[in-house]
Amino acid sequence: MNSSIKRIVTIARHEYRAAVRSKILVVLLGILIVVTTVSVYIASVDYASQLADYQLYRTSALANGLTRIAPSPLAPMSLLRGAMEYLEIIGAVIAITLGYLTVSRERANRTLPLIRTRPVTSGELATGSLLGALGVIGTLVAITAVVGVLCVGIIGHDWINATQGLKLFLAYLAAIMYMGVFYCIGAIATAKSKVAATGLMIALGIWLIVVLVLPQIGDTLDADNQIPGGLFKALTLDRAGETEVLKHFTTYENIRTWTEEASLAKHFERFAFAMTDVKERYRPFSLPKLLGQTRNDIGWMVVYSIAAYTALRRSFKRQPTIPQGGTL
Amino acid sequence: MILTIASNQILALRRQTVFLALLGTLLAMTALAGVLGWSSHQTIVRVYDQAVKILATTGKPAPPNPITLKPTLSLLLNMVVYIPLVGALLALLLGHLSIADDETSGIGRLVFSRQITRTSYVLGKIACAAVVLMAILVASLLVSAVSLLIVNRTISVSDFGRLTIFYSLSWLYLMLFALVGMVMVLVTRRRSLALLSAIGVWLVITFVIPQFTSGLRPTSSLNPITSPVGTSQKFFKVTAYARDYSVAEQYKEASGRILNTATSESIGQTLQRVLPIAGLVIILALLAIRIIRKHDFSRSVNNE
Repeated sequence: MNSSIKRIVTIARHEYRAAVRSKILVVLLGILIVVTTVSVYIASVDYASQLADYQLYRTSALANGLTRIAPSPLAPMSLLRGAMEYLEIIGAVIAITLGYLTVSRERANRTLPLIRTRPVTSGELATGSLLGALGVIGTLVAITAVVGVLCVGIIGHDWINATQGLKLFLAYLAAIMYMGVFYCIGAIATAKSKVAATGLMIALGIWLIVVLVLPQIGDTLDADNQIPGGLFKALTLDRAGETEVLKHFTTYENIRTWTEEASLAKHFERFAFAMTDVKERYRPFSLPKLLGQTRNDIGWMVVYSIAAYTALRRSFKRQPTIPQGGTL
Repeated sequence: MILTIASNQILALRRQTVFLALLGTLLAMTALAGVLGWSSHQTIVRVYDQAVKILATTGKPAPPNPITLKPTLSLLLNMVVYIPLVGALLALLLGHLSIADDETSGIGRLVFSRQITRTSYVLGKIACAAVVLMAILVASLLVSAVSLLIVNRTISVSDFGRLTIFYSLSWLYLMLFALVGMVMVLVTRRRSLALLSAIGVWLVITFVIPQFTSGLRPTSSLNPITSPVGTSQKFFKVTAYARDYSVAEQYKEASGRILNTATSESIGQTLQRVLPIAGLVIILALLAIRIIRKHDFSRSVNNE
């Protein structure tokens, strides 16, 4: 094995082991798994009753000799919506925590100066740490995915097929990418701060804006959301009328769209919802068409990931090896 | 002595520019809520004008202007979201810094070499958080009133009164999180663990409990108006009993009633929603007083 790759793998293994030993991470993981289970359980119970109704209709229609039976309008993967939303919110906090711990652990243990006396470049350190963190994130996402699929099958009485499984795999892959970006934000902010806790606060501030504030502004600015029940409905306008009115709001709609575009969380959400059949309009599409429809979101996620990794390498390169000021 | 500790802490927060950062962030959020409210108002007016023209060409009568359906204070509805999200995190940070800074700097050990009781020390810290949060929220109240004046050209006494009550409730809600921040420093050994545990509590209160009691998905918490699921599911038949104690939900519900943006209810019912928040604040304050008696400030440097 190439010596550089070997060093990266060693750092990644160290990062993985150290992360799973952290108490706070285990607590946050516990919270995520419990809430994922509950959210899928709640959705599955409701789904099971709808599925039973559909089966009853189907049996009765077949008994009466009907040949054309309406297909089931139910989408089992949409039960994972809550699980995806938790990854979007709590998953991002876990990733930031991981990033924070990567830097603060080495500082507090005074091991960073020691590591840097070895023939390890800052780039290898950044890559190794990121890979180790992605391993932890991958394990966590895999656990929530298994819990989610089992809940849908056992409680919802509907097992997902191979095509759905592939779509779900892509959604969870996007979740790993999304959390990877937040890992980088946590590590960069901590590496750049003299006091590690300040870095954690800055990273959480970014999380607050990207995950909670920007998408909320985008939703609030939607013209139809201005009054309860829908503005266009209150004005007795049909779809054609709505389109006609919105022609006069192109600048406004552009601002709204760009506010949402700025949020990585929104791109992850759109992609994950398209892959898990949450949005009805995406349900009839085949996987290649779905990927085509969500290419903008995929593009943004890739751009954010590359930018975050580049910034992580730069910040590790400039990080002082000798402790400056506070350590935690 | 309580006053001395409180004023010392306020001075420390001012010198560290923490106070300015908290004030700036919350005022920016209040201004943003005002801008969004103004934008909403303008959008409705412009959409209505366009709709009237389109309906006239088809010969249909124009419906009443929907702006009349919106309560005046609904312009600031986003504050009901920003207080539990941004405000609560800032309050958490305020409570955390109040105690954690004394630990890491070693001031904790020095302070207790003087004739200061631990109870007065923690009460001083709580008083500081109360004063700082009150000052910030008074500033937010003024920004909100100015936003209303700009959009509506006028503000009635009744609306100003409702706003004042809303910000008083918000103060109580933020005190809850300031106390969570303090208690977490006192029960954990490391500063980072204290901050993350406090954030864990915030996540549970804001996102997890509403899902358990009302089936609200996490992103529903970003909506100022929430509609809980029915209690027909067996799961919610059990958990709905705890809905009254879900402080995040009760804060939103009570705020909706105070700002007159939700279906009205009696004052007694709204007060009943506030009680769990007040109760939790008292419990956490008593807990802080009790825990600090056993807290070892001498280990602060080693376990920073």
